[in-house]
Amino acid sequence: MKICITSTGTSLDSNVDPRFGRCPFFIIYDTNTDTFEAIENTSRQAMGGAGIQSGQLIASKNVEAVLSGNFGPNAFRVLQAANIKMFSNVSGTVKEAIEKFKNGQLTETSAPDVQSHYGMGRMGGA
Amino acid sequence: MKQLTIISGKGGTGKTTIASNFIKLAHDHIAVDTDVDAANLHILLKPEIEVKKDFIGGAVAKVNDDCITCGKCQELCRFDAISDSTVKIKIDPLKCEGCGVCEYICPTGAITLVKEKQGQFYTSNTSFCKLIHARLNPGAENSGLLVTTIRNIAEDIAYAENKKLIIIDGAPGIGCPVIASLNGVDFALIVTEPTLSGISDFKKIYDVAKFFNIKMFACINKFDINLSNTAEIQKFCTQNNISLIGKISYDENVPKLLSQKKFIIDSPQNPAAKDIIKLWENFDKIIYE
Amino acid sequence: MILSVASGKGGTGKTTVAVSLALAAGYCQFIDYDVEAPNAHIFLKPEVKNIKKVTIKQPYFLTETGKDFSKCAQFCHYNAVAVIGNQVIFYPELCHGCGGCILVGPEGAVREKEVEVGQVMKGLTPPGIDFISGNLSPGSMRTTTVQNELEKLINKNGIVIIDSPPGNSCSMVMSVKNSDYCILVTEPTPYGLNDLILSMEVLGNLKIPYGVIINRDGIGDSTLEDYCRDKNIKVLLKIPDERNIAKSYSEGKTLIDFNNYYIQAFKKILKEIENTINNN
Repeated sequence: MKICITSTGTSLDSNVDPRFGRCPFFIIYDTNTDTFEAIENTSRQAMGGAGIQSGQLIASKNVEAVLSGNFGPNAFRVLQAANIKMFSNVSGTVKEAIEKFKNGQLTETSAPDVQSHYGMGRMGGA
Repeated sequence: MKQLTIISGKGGTGKTTIASNFIKLAHDHIAVDTDVDAANLHILLKPEIEVKKDFIGGAVAKVNDDCITCGKCQELCRFDAISDSTVKIKIDPLKCEGCGVCEYICPTGAITLVKEKQGQFYTSNTSFCKLIHARLNPGAENSGLLVTTIRNIAEDIAYAENKKLIIIDGAPGIGCPVIASLNGVDFALIVTEPTLSGISDFKKIYDVAKFFNIKMFACINKFDINLSNTAEIQKFCTQNNISLIGKISYDENVPKLLSQKKFIIDSPQNPAAKDIIKLWENFDKIIYE
Repeated sequence: MILSVASGKGGTGKTTVAVSLALAAGYCQFIDYDVEAPNAHIFLKPEVKNIKKVTIKQPYFLTETGKDFSKCAQFCHYNAVAVIGNQVIFYPELCHGCGGCILVGPEGAVREKEVEVGQVMKGLTPPGIDFISGNLSPGSMRTTTVQNELEKLINKNGIVIIDSPPGNSCSMVMSVKNSDYCILVTEPTPYGLNDLILSMEVLGNLKIPYGVIINRDGIGDSTLEDYCRDKNIKVLLKIPDERNIAKSYSEGKTLIDFNNYYIQAFKKILKEIENTINNN
């Protein structure tokens, strides 16, 4: 299966970046073939829409799970709609994170963990 | 790692004064000046620029000579950005919001969305911490985008270098750049003043900040100018779960020190200095609870 | 004549000056363009005649039709629409109301509704100040949309006084761009000077003549005034830094309430500016 890890760099030795949506890179890792690609996150400057764009990007890559530090409500909505599993509080290097995932050491997230994030749709206006 | 944004609603209440003195008092931190079209932190902090980059703003529609003045774009533009002209239509870059509708509808492809350089942003060193700041070209738009850009850099560095705190000096108002400076932070410190204008804007910025589910603090600058207004602010804070953690005395020495580009806390005998130190201590106590 | 009052730095005294000008003129139109944090009404205390909503049209998606809305997501420049499978997720706070979704989306399956982003208030302050103020709804980012509504109300016959928001970006430009003259209010500190220079650049680009009012004179040194003299910039007035003025302001009193002398001072400024405009 394909999984995504938010990363500070383009290699497996890079550290996991705690921010889905605003991380500099996504590492898409294929656990079947043990190959990966690093994608630059071009949406990271988007105001409030970073999580949304990133979520759609990941969804388009046929990823089944995302490993990150935390997910804001915008990203959460998109990933949940796409049936992509989310794992938060993941740290260490990308390689370490993948190992933990393979060994079933990570717990799935059921709710957005970063509360203070714009765009929860609670505001009436635009 | 925690993030604090200092906001006010009303301009001139003392955000930058407090931000700069906090920057001197804090440890393991990074500072960001998000008041990108009238940045002031650098005046006190005297940064040495390490990295300088161009800020490419959001797109603006431009029309070329393939325009046949059919007027379809003008009909559909919701922002009053398109007007008649003789040879081709005219697009007002100030009103254009880069939505792309005119580009889409133009039958001859005469309109394209173009991104342009709208300013610069800098990663700098100061005596106290790294400072991420920017200069938006006068008259430019997309301040929110620029704020998000410099905040991303600050976060990148903070995570890479294991910093404990990002101090964000906010812009006045309640619009785009302010909202961009509140996205994803842990704490907001509203700096207000005991004036009717200050109170009115305090309530407005509170209405914005409360949607972010952030822990809110407040501080009343020059509180003794008007004690009854101060009491009203105190009451509002109590009723709305805002921790009032500081009251700074009106101090004639403050403007002089600021003009001399000095830190208030470097003259600790002054009443305002004592109050700012107390404010910082109150904040510092709470943030890692 | 249309006269705007602006300042790069916040809190220098724009509203104080704008209000004083309006009271000195007596009969004029006053427009508070600082729609994010309007304050002029506190001082001019207009009798409110009318409040109108400012709205934009935002889309809603008839997903029950089973149609494909992915073009809307692809088109949106603000990431306000996300499409996952047959679900559409809409983020109203990011939407600018451009109408693109209706254009590119499946026909008949995207509708629009009016969403309030602010208000415009009209009132009257004696003797004859037509008071207009814009107000942006908290949480909205549509500052220029509300300002656009104010622009439609400018009455070019007579004197128009415009109170601008602080800063030097687009919301300030929206306020000053129609004016024949701009008064830049500043304070004699390095911060005041720094932001004044940026404001002057904006006005220079717009080819709008300007002059300076130095407020809180005495809190700094002569650097700013020297700068103005060196660059041949007219200093129209200097208002001293006095605790009593601050106290009076804090109570919602005008400079004229504080000291009636200021009526004459501001009448003189109006005359001076009128002459400058006529001579150009």
